[in-house]
Amino acid sequence: MNSEEIITVATGVVKSWDWATETSRPLPKQLDVKVKLIKELVPIIVGLRVKRLGYLAAITGIDLGPEVGEMDVLYQFCPGDVVITLRVRVPRQEAMLPSLCEIIPSAEVFERELQEMFGIQMLGLHTTEHLYLPDDWPDGVYPMRKDFDPQILSH
Amino acid sequence: MKSHQNFGQQLLKSLKDWARVSSPWVLHFNTGSCNGCDIEILATLTPRYDLERLGVKLQASPRQADILLCTGPVTRQARERLVRIYAQMPEPKYVVAIGSCAISGGVFRGCYNVMDGIDQVIPVSAYIPGCPPRPEAVIDGLVKVLASIHSPGHKIPSDILEGALDPEKVAA
Amino acid sequence: MNTKQEPQRFVIPIGPQHPALKEPGNFQFTVDGEIVTKAIVRLGYAHRGIEKAAEERTWIQDLYLIERVCGICSHIHALAYCLAVEQLAHVEAPPRAQAIRVLVAELERIHSHFLWMGVSGHEAGFDTFFMYSWRDRERVMNILEKLTGNRVNYSANVLGGVKFDLDQEQIASIRGGIDFLEERTRHYLDVVATDFMFLQRTRGIGVMSRAQAEIMGAVGPTARASNVARDVRKDAPYAAYKEYPVDIILDERGDLEARFEVRLKELFESFHLIRKILDTLPGGELTARMPRKVPAGEAVMRVEAPRGELLYFIRSNGSDKPERLKIRTPTICNLTSVVKLAIGHQLADVPMILAGIDPCFSCNDRSVQIRTSNDPDGRMLSWDELRQHGIDFYKRLEK
Repeated sequence: MNSEEIITVATGVVKSWDWATETSRPLPKQLDVKVKLIKELVPIIVGLRVKRLGYLAAITGIDLGPEVGEMDVLYQFCPGDVVITLRVRVPRQEAMLPSLCEIIPSAEVFERELQEMFGIQMLGLHTTEHLYLPDDWPDGVYPMRKDFDPQILSH
Repeated sequence: MKSHQNFGQQLLKSLKDWARVSSPWVLHFNTGSCNGCDIEILATLTPRYDLERLGVKLQASPRQADILLCTGPVTRQARERLVRIYAQMPEPKYVVAIGSCAISGGVFRGCYNVMDGIDQVIPVSAYIPGCPPRPEAVIDGLVKVLASIHSPGHKIPSDILEGALDPEKVAA
Repeated sequence: MNTKQEPQRFVIPIGPQHPALKEPGNFQFTVDGEIVTKAIVRLGYAHRGIEKAAEERTWIQDLYLIERVCGICSHIHALAYCLAVEQLAHVEAPPRAQAIRVLVAELERIHSHFLWMGVSGHEAGFDTFFMYSWRDRERVMNILEKLTGNRVNYSANVLGGVKFDLDQEQIASIRGGIDFLEERTRHYLDVVATDFMFLQRTRGIGVMSRAQAEIMGAVGPTARASNVARDVRKDAPYAAYKEYPVDIILDERGDLEARFEVRLKELFESFHLIRKILDTLPGGELTARMPRKVPAGEAVMRVEAPRGELLYFIRSNGSDKPERLKIRTPTICNLTSVVKLAIGHQLADVPMILAGIDPCFSCNDRSVQIRTSNDPDGRMLSWDELRQHGIDFYKRLEK
């Protein structure tokens, strides 16, 4: 498949699930999908996987700061030379997302990272142990959030 | 009688020093460095630079090591391991901090998960700067450590910071 | 009373300080006799918080931070970062700069593969192989030092181009080095494919099928040894790879032997590419003008590091600092596969399987100062004093 075909197929997957989902192409080889409801995320990813477009390159969390009170989570898939980005927005307080481990085993490391760095609870992920942060890291402190203050870590 | 004892002790000490200087066993521990220093340490041990011609042997276990080569800015997770490895080494022990990160935290100074240098955690006898130091610099640094073992006025570093480590706290 | 006894399980920890691992990572292998039944990985011994630190520094400061993500593949990290920032700023580096970037990237791949080859030979107990390959590796280190002035952190990239140019003498020395290394690589390929003792440690060990590699998201030579044609240089050419295409090396077997052969055969591609670049190096400028502030937006950049696909995601808010910088290293993708592959193997094979993916848990001063306790002349400077001293020193130099 060339990049145009990949984008057509991926857009088809997204639109067939919910025709009102917004898609855009910021660059010729990028497809951006705004997933409005979190429950739509898993079916869309299953759809991509079935079409063999499901090489999950990364899950990126972005904190928008306490003023906005929300966080962006970007699921980046890279089939061929195309980058498909699924965007989800979650609140900062009691953020929750479904785990993809059942569909894509390699998602586990990214999800554990989101869990400890941003404090997003991953439903269906069975471990809450730290992967990157030290064992004696205080609970409820998430270093990648914008309002993280390193002062609370006394040397 | 007493002078005989002293002579015996001195002879024993110089014999020990001779053995220590002629064949130091080094242990390498990466406390969160970028690998740059680690591959330079390995390069120092391999044929081009061949540190082994000075009798230096890379040793896997801290229990048999004389010199600890540390790289990296000491991450919070590696801190406890570093103290443990240091406590497991037999006396007298020497620590060499290799690279800018090991000296002061380097480019990672101020990051939330680093301790800014080996000497924040354990006493250090020698610092080898560079990002990363060249193999020649590593050899030079080690030779200077060995020379300092020879010098008569030398105090072993663990005396300097007495009580910095409580062996009971650290499960050996 | 519960008479049913739990079967005895032994948990063997490996790392973070371990002779086979030059980098700190901790693995816990549960074994039944000699067979591994469960594997758990714990990272974080090298977690320094670079992504957070990058948000607090300017675009130019970040370049130096990014180069120190990994000391083995520092150039490719800086390259991915520069390309992503250039994409955001709508700046394109001149063709000569792009070609030099690719040249250094391929030299770095050669150094990295030689390094890996030696270390994994060491894991297999084949120390002769280790010493020989590291001796030969010094040749490529010489080239890199001659080219960039540095053995490890080459610092070749700047935002908008590269720092140095090539002259005829350097080109000649690269050619000489490449000829030597090509001959040695042929020899090593022969060794890994025919040495009986070595084959016993590699053939049929750690087999990953194509389907497994795809579902576990393996990248780089690890994936290509399992017949997954995934190479960013080919799929989505960046820098000058459009002008200098590479062939993908694939292997169907998926075991350790295949991983050795794929990496070694890849080296021939690199040699070929380097010669081609030296033959047809475009002329012109080395840098393009970069604005100090980068326009708001998002950029995703994928490059092929020696270990596989490296992904950078950058979001800018229009200021002189990035708002978010995400680094997805190839090892994190391949690590899942190791943890799954180790199960069912003998414990003795585990270090080899681990080395098979070429794990990397992380990514000029020549004077030495010894601090002795009774040195009367010694003067200790605090960090701030040292900084002030440095500023004064260079001010004096400028006058």
